[in-house]
This record gives sequence, C-alpha cells and structure tokens, in this order.
Amino acid sequence: MLSIKNCLIESETWQIKFPDIQLDLDDLLVIIGPSGIGKSTFLHWLLGNQPKHVNISGQIFIDGQDVSQLTVENRHIGLLMQDVFLFPHLSVEDNISFALPKSPDFHSKKQRRTKSHSMLEQINLEHLSKRYPQSLSGGERSRVGLVRALANQPKIMLLDEPFAALDPSNREKIGKWTFQQLAHQAIPSIMVTHDLNDIPTSAKQLNLADYYQSKDTQ
Amino acid sequence: MATTLRRLSRVLGWWLIICIASLPVWGILFGLWPDEDTSIADLSRLLAYQGLGLSLWQSMLSALFSSLLSLYLAFLIYSQYQSHSKVGGRWLEKYLSPLLSLPHLAIALGLVFLFSESGVFFVNGDIGLPRKGLSTFIMAIIIKEVPFFLLILIAVGRQLPLHGWLLQGRALGYDTSTSWWLLVFPNILKHMRLALLAASAYTLSVVDMNLLVGPNIPELFAVSVYRWQGSFSEGDQALGFWANLLLLVLLGVSIIFLYCHEKLVIKVLQHWAVLGRRIRLGFVDTLGRVWLPASGLLILLMVLVFTLWSLGFNWHSDTFSLRNLNTQLWQDEWLFVALPLQNALLIGVSAAILGILFTLLALELQRQKGRYLPDYIWLLGILLPQLSMVLGWQVSHIWLEGGYHSGWVVFAHLPFTFGYAYLVLKGPFQSIDANYELIAASFGYSPWQRWWKIRFRLLLPAILSAFAIAFAVSIAQYIPTLMIGAGRVTTITTEAVAIGTGSQQDVAALYILLQSLLPLAAFIMAALLSSRIAGPKHSTLGISRC
Repeated sequence: MLSIKNCLIESETWQIKFPDIQLDLDDLLVIIGPSGIGKSTFLHWLLGNQPKHVNISGQIFIDGQDVSQLTVENRHIGLLMQDVFLFPHLSVEDNISFALPKSPDFHSKKQRRTKSHSMLEQINLEHLSKRYPQSLSGGERSRVGLVRALANQPKIMLLDEPFAALDPSNREKIGKWTFQQLAHQAIPSIMVTHDLNDIPTSAKQLNLADYYQSKDTQ
Repeated sequence: MATTLRRLSRVLGWWLIICIASLPVWGILFGLWPDEDTSIADLSRLLAYQGLGLSLWQSMLSALFSSLLSLYLAFLIYSQYQSHSKVGGRWLEKYLSPLLSLPHLAIALGLVFLFSESGVFFVNGDIGLPRKGLSTFIMAIIIKEVPFFLLILIAVGRQLPLHGWLLQGRALGYDTSTSWWLLVFPNILKHMRLALLAASAYTLSVVDMNLLVGPNIPELFAVSVYRWQGSFSEGDQALGFWANLLLLVLLGVSIIFLYCHEKLVIKVLQHWAVLGRRIRLGFVDTLGRVWLPASGLLILLMVLVFTLWSLGFNWHSDTFSLRNLNTQLWQDEWLFVALPLQNALLIGVSAAILGILFTLLALELQRQKGRYLPDYIWLLGILLPQLSMVLGWQVSHIWLEGGYHSGWVVFAHLPFTFGYAYLVLKGPFQSIDANYELIAASFGYSPWQRWWKIRFRLLLPAILSAFAIAFAVSIAQYIPTLMIGAGRVTTITTEAVAIGTGSQQDVAALYILLQSLLPLAAFIMAALLSSRIAGPKHSTLGISRC
C-alpha cells in the first residue's frame, strides 16, 4: 500500500501542490499533464532520485512505513522507463538473476538462473533467456524489463512512459500485458504518460495541470 | 574539370595520411631488418645475458601493474566524482589539465626530490623511495597515467547510458558503489582496451624515465635495448636487433595478458551480478575521493621544490635561509639552455600543427567516404613500442642520408602528435551535426567555405586543446629526438635527461622546471582561448603522455 502526503513541487516561478494519494494493492494511478510540468520529476522523487532543478517535499509511506528519507536502493520501488536499460553485458536470464533479492531459496548461481528461467517460462519468453539485450526487439526488451523489475519483488512499481518507444501495434499489446502482470502480482503502480490511449479504464487519473499554480498570480 | 581535381586531391590526401599513419609500422619493419652479421648465435648470447630474466620480468611487471592499477584507480575516482553531483565530469576535466600538463620526467624527478632517501621529507633518513628503483619508477608512471585514464573514462562515459544503468541498479536494491562495479565497469572495460595497451606499450619501452629513476641492477629491458642499439660495437648491435624483437614479443605477451584480464574480470563481475553480491570497498572508496586533491598538492610541491632548487635553496645545508635565494644559476645556465629551449619550441609547435592538420585531413576524408576506419589504425604511433619504431626510422634516415636538423626531428615526432591529436579531435569532429553545413549549402556556400566557416569554427576549442596536448607530447619526446637528431639537435628534454642522470640537482631542477613550464603555458593558453570560443566541449578527450 502506498500513501503520499503533503507533496509539493516548487520552482522559482511555479508550484504544484499534490492532493494526498492513497493506492491499494492492485491500484494503478496514471499521471497526465503537459510536457515539462513535472510528471517524471515526481516519479523520480518517489523513487528516491532527488531532482536538482526543483524542490520537492512531502512524505511517502509504503505499508505504513515512512520511506521519505531512504535511499533509492532501500525503498523497494521498481522503475520501468521508456528505455528499460537492460544491462548489455548480461544475458536476459542474468539480467533477471541480478534483480532477484537475496534468498535462501535461490542462493547459488544455478538456483538463481533456474528461477529466472521459470519466470520467463511463465510468460512464454524462455526462448530469450540466453540472448543478450542488443539482439532483442523493442517489444521483447519492454517485456524483459518488466519481468526483471518484478523479479525484484518491488512493493510499488513506477512506469515512466514505458510504451513510448513502441510501435502502435506492439504498444497496445504490451500495455495490456504489463497491466495484467502488475494486477496479477497485486503491486500498486503509478504511470506517467502523454498518450491517453495508454490508460486502462480501471486506472485512477491525476492531471497535474489542475494543481499547477504560477507564483506570480498568487 | 572541378570534379576531376576534387577526386585527384582526395586520392592524394588518402595517400598522404596513409603514409603518416603507417610510419610506425614502417619503423617496426625496418627495425626488424637484420644486418648481414646478425646470427642465431647472437640470440643465444642475448638469452644468456646476465640478469635478462629479472630485467624482462620487472619490465613486464611494471608495464602491466602500473597500467592496470592506474585504470582501477581512475575508475574509482571517476565513480566517486560522478556519484557526487556537485562535482561532475566537466569540473573533473578542468581540474585534470594541470595534472596532464606535467611531463613524466618532472613527476619522476619530483618524487625523487621529495620522497627519496635524501629528499625533502627524508633529508637525513634511511627510509623513503630509492633514488633509482622499480618502486619509484612504477609510482611515477601511476601518478601520470591516472589522469590519462580519467580523461578516457570521461570521454567513454559520455557515450554510455551510465545514469540509466546506475538508476536501475539502485532501484533493484544495489548501493551506488556495487552498481558502478557490477554494471558500469564491465561495459567500460571493453572501451579501455586501446588506452590500456597504449599505457603498457609506453611503460614497456620508455627510456628517459628509466634512465632517471628506473632500477640499475638489472636495468629495465628498454634501457638495455636502447644501449645495445646505440652502441658502436657490432656485437652489441646484433644484441640490439634480437632485443628489439624480444621487446615486440613482450608487447604481444602484454596484449594477450590484457585481453585475458578483461575476459576474466568481466566473467567474475558477471558471476557476482548473477549471485546478487554486494561490493564493499570501505576505505578504498575514500582513496578515490582524495586521490586528485592529493595529486594536485603533490604536483604543486614538485614545482615549488624545483623552483627553490633552481634558486639556490638547499635544505641539506644547515646555514641556508630563504634570504639567500638568487638567480645566479638561471643567469649562468641561460646561455646553455636558450638553444634547446628554442629548438623545443620550434619542433613542438611545428609537430603539433602538422599533427592537427593531418588529423583533420584524415577525419574529413573518412567523413566524405561515409565510414570511419578503426581507431587503432590511426593510433599506431602510441600503441607500438616507441623504441622499436624509432630504430627503424633511424635506419631509414641513415639509408636516405638525411641530415641532422630539426626538420627530421619534427618528422619523427609527427606520428605521436598525430596519434594524440586524432584521439582528441575524433569525438568533437563526429559530434558536429551535418545539418549545419547543409543549411550553409542552402545559402549558397561552397564545400570549402562550409568547412572553413562552420565545421572548423565549431571545432576550434577542440583544436586548441589538441594543440596543447600535441605540443606537450612533442616537448616530452626523448628517444625520437635523440636518435633522429643524433645528439646534434638538442631540446630541453634531451638536456634535462642528460643532466638529470648526473648529480647536479640544482641544474636538473632548472631544466625540468623549464620542461614543465612549456606544456603548462600551452594548456593555459588553450584554456583561455577556448573559453572565449563556443563549440563542442568534448575537447579534452586526450591525453599527454609527457
């Protein structure tokens, strides 16, 4: 469960005062708004990657715990971007193994690879396991990126224009598949997008333009 | 008619740059041409030479150890500075210029003046670095190579999505340091091959630093090769021939070693990545943060100590005080130093300008062809052992009955200034958007006008940096100057080595100080002029191996 309180993005000339946000297990919140209004900035702040060009304040609670002061690596928040940044020196299987949390169940290299392989099998992508990211198509990369992010067992998932680089036919298919996976694993998610066609009907929406305030007019 | 002329000039241009780029290969091939008297028996004599095994081992050890340690240190520093947002890559580049401008010789002698058994910090002690020894030699190489690797890392880092990889690594629960080593290092290592090879080839065949601070018994292999090659005895020259061949074998072994090192390190880091291992470096991380400020301080101390020595300050004397500082030595030596200084300036400026001109020609011809040849073809001058190359040039020079004047020395410096200028200019040249020239063409400008008014203008800051680096490289050349000039063309560097190997510390300090000031002045001028001109700022991807 994710809860965001008193979030304020502030620059020298404008500010956005967010409403308090509460997301339950399989909720998806879609953030929309014009370019440059701060959608991605907000997402990166949630992740723990403090932006430099604006000030952001507020509290973030995950399962009741305040994570606002934690570093990126300690927040357990997954991130899927337009470029999924699969690591080029690792095969698909090893990219996923890298994301697996430390666990006695898959401690050795063989166990971790088996686990990764089984995750790929569940979504019929096992044929990609030995391949390297450079040889994957855009759609395959997006799917492997999501599997890798899910392998890390995040408590929250952030999606920053995840389908923007895909062609229209793939875009709809991969989008649908992604939301199914997130719902299946009951992970609250926040997505930023420009394209209203990307938004599933069940999603909540937040238009940042509604909360934008110019400091001159205050 | 105009088309025919253009085609002809292109063909001529290709011939010209192929000749320049292949000079190192010709040097190696001519150097390997045996004399009539050379026989297999001479090889047996070489192999039986006393201390050869230890000399070879120490040469390989110093070349590989110093190159690899410099690379790891540079990566550590780079990761630390990139992770701390307030001091990013641009700041790092600016900070590196003075570190890069100080020649290898100055660092070597500076270490001796400061930390040897009779140096500033150990005036009466038995501890400290040996005046001549492997540890002093390796340390001097590392201090000089770290900034070289850092600049290459900055240039490579710009081409890779480091921020995205690191962010993903952290989002998957890994700390910053682990993300750098598990995700960035394996990808960056492949791009460092040529730099690693250049650094080890340099260390393997460097003579001037070896003469100043390298070990004596046995001497490192490059010094033996140089001594045998320069000897008037036929027996020694035969040894020199086989030793030259052996030097190339050592280079081959180091290439294999560096390749295996790369494969092994990537394999190990991949293994750790799959296991999800965390890398804790503890105090080593701190070393990454303090290295550059410490190097800066060290270099300031070196320059200070050279200055004081040249002004008559001697801390071995109990009665000496700062009030006794005088310029007597400068006045006495000026008569002797003026000509080498003038030669160094003339040769440095000419070789740097020619190196840049040929680099621009090579880049432009490749751009017109629509395909860039692999970098190693253009960088042979800095990837092959200098000693082997110059021997071949010397043989050809004698065969051609060339005179002993500055023109030949400029020619001998050219492959090095060309190599470094290419390294510096390639990135900025390729990064210029071709649409600028397209727009100029639509305004009616001819190809030459477009090149001159648009491309050259945009490249100017990078060209200034390339000039400073190529000039510094030329100033620092010892073996090509000595062997092609045959001692008749003296420069500040040949004189500095001759005096530095003797016992007159004050005179050595004066010459080394002058040798350091020349490239420093070029770097400062380039920086000042660059700051007044806008253009692609990838200019300092490079690297003086002074």
